[in-house]
Amino acid sequence: MYQSFIGLEIHIHLLTRTKAFCGCTAEFGAPPNTHVCPVCLGYPGVLPAVNEEAMKMSYMVAKALNCELSPKCYFDRKNYFYPDMTKNYQISQFHDPVGRNGYFDVEVDGEIKRVRIHDVHLEEDAGKMIHSGRTSLLDYNRAGTSLLEIVTEPDLVTGKDAEAFIREFRRMVRHLGVCDGNMEEGSLRCDANVSINLKGQGLGTKTEVKNLNSARFVRKALEYEIKRQGRVLGKGEKVIQETRLWDSDNNVTASMRTKEKAHDYRYFPEPDMPPFCPDDAFMSEVVSRVVELPLVKKQRYLNGLQLSVDAAEFLVEDRLFCDLFEETCALGGDAKQISNWLCGDVQGQLKRAEVALTDSHITAARLNELVKLVDSGVLQRGKAKEVLELVIAEDKDPSAVVREKGFEQVQDDSQLDGWVSEAIDKNPQAVEQILAGNTKTISFLVGQVMRFSKGKADPKKVTDKLSQALGL
Amino acid sequence: MNVNELKTTAQLAMLDIPDPEKLAQAFSEMLDNFSKMMAVDVEGLEPTTHALAQGNRLREDVPRGTDESEAVLDRAPEREDRFFKIPNVL
Repeated sequence: MYQSFIGLEIHIHLLTRTKAFCGCTAEFGAPPNTHVCPVCLGYPGVLPAVNEEAMKMSYMVAKALNCELSPKCYFDRKNYFYPDMTKNYQISQFHDPVGRNGYFDVEVDGEIKRVRIHDVHLEEDAGKMIHSGRTSLLDYNRAGTSLLEIVTEPDLVTGKDAEAFIREFRRMVRHLGVCDGNMEEGSLRCDANVSINLKGQGLGTKTEVKNLNSARFVRKALEYEIKRQGRVLGKGEKVIQETRLWDSDNNVTASMRTKEKAHDYRYFPEPDMPPFCPDDAFMSEVVSRVVELPLVKKQRYLNGLQLSVDAAEFLVEDRLFCDLFEETCALGGDAKQISNWLCGDVQGQLKRAEVALTDSHITAARLNELVKLVDSGVLQRGKAKEVLELVIAEDKDPSAVVREKGFEQVQDDSQLDGWVSEAIDKNPQAVEQILAGNTKTISFLVGQVMRFSKGKADPKKVTDKLSQALGL
Repeated sequence: MNVNELKTTAQLAMLDIPDPEKLAQAFSEMLDNFSKMMAVDVEGLEPTTHALAQGNRLREDVPRGTDESEAVLDRAPEREDRFFKIPNVL
């Protein structure tokens, strides 16, 4: 039987304000060639200078991936001729990248798989081309923006492993705040190298699969490609080393016609850029910005805080939810209860209102207050949803909403007792039924009390009082 | 250097060489000089990639205020609206 080997090459757009080597804005969506200058267009005599923030983010990712961090990293020129770059080379890192020899843990079906990282290097992205008729139109807004490439060793085995890797990696870069992780828009891109071979024979001849713009496509393309290579070898033929494109409409990979000649990028040290040596201040900032990673967080939520798997998975999907959760817990609330609020009502209402958590006016203090109002019996659980809605819509504290709306539940026992007696006195038939064993009818009496109280009684308390009064 | 090596190198650099035989001869002389340098024992020495590198040269992540886009677009051999225009390369 065959075994498969998958390695990934992931490119992420770093969330820097400016490009990697010049002061052009790195923002997307501007009219063509708005963010261009002599440096990113490679005019003769210009001098690129590396973006400090891009460098920090690169070291952060390398650190998070447990790499050996370079004490002196170099930039190299990767030479190629294609009009998506005006310079005829890309500034990249080849001999001494930011990080090497790391690893990243990924959970697949409840098991942790450790994937070795070959290297992490900073480079620049290319421009965009539109081909129409006899001309090609060039837009260099994206040319020179910071792109971080992460190369894994071929330690992944199945398409499912690769999908899990991408998802975990995406969560990680989002938690670090270095990339928005949007695969559809191309801010996280993935190419996959895959080969199969008879067991014990090591790596086979690999193909490279491109055009994978979702984690699901990564899995599907690799599953297809592993089967395809199996069929090729099964027929006694050889796998051709080539680049193949994933065709998501037909669920197949297809050979991308390329020039026969192997690439020779003639890397050499970029003479315009001195090597970079991180100093102590730089490194301590990098270390401090590498926050707890999502997988570690998830395990802490599950094992330390006893959250449900669903709640833990929901929270770690978004750093902002994690932060809000942890801040609210720090105010003394019950972790489980808070997590339930967040993945239940808070998430649901934000979705319905189409509001992002950051714009929602929900703060740890407010969430804590809301949970406490319900806990202490001041606010009915049912009414709490309405309060939350108003917190989001009107930027008010829950207690203020409760006061304004008159949502406080009646806590006064004598008043509750009065309504309970009234309900019993006015509904002898119902009482008879209950005493005859039809205990469900008690909800009718609870309803009566709720009516007397204009909805301000706590139904649970009322039920208890009714049961007591009727000797149940 | 033999002529084929030169042709491959020229191709990689997208250079058109009118008289490869003559140039190959000149290149061979140059490479001989390099091989003399290559013979020197540099074991344990860090390669000198930059003669004048003095410390890090970093740039703060702050957008440059000025817009030079019109100036560079105007210098293009051909433009169409805000695009640089070239013959179709696909």
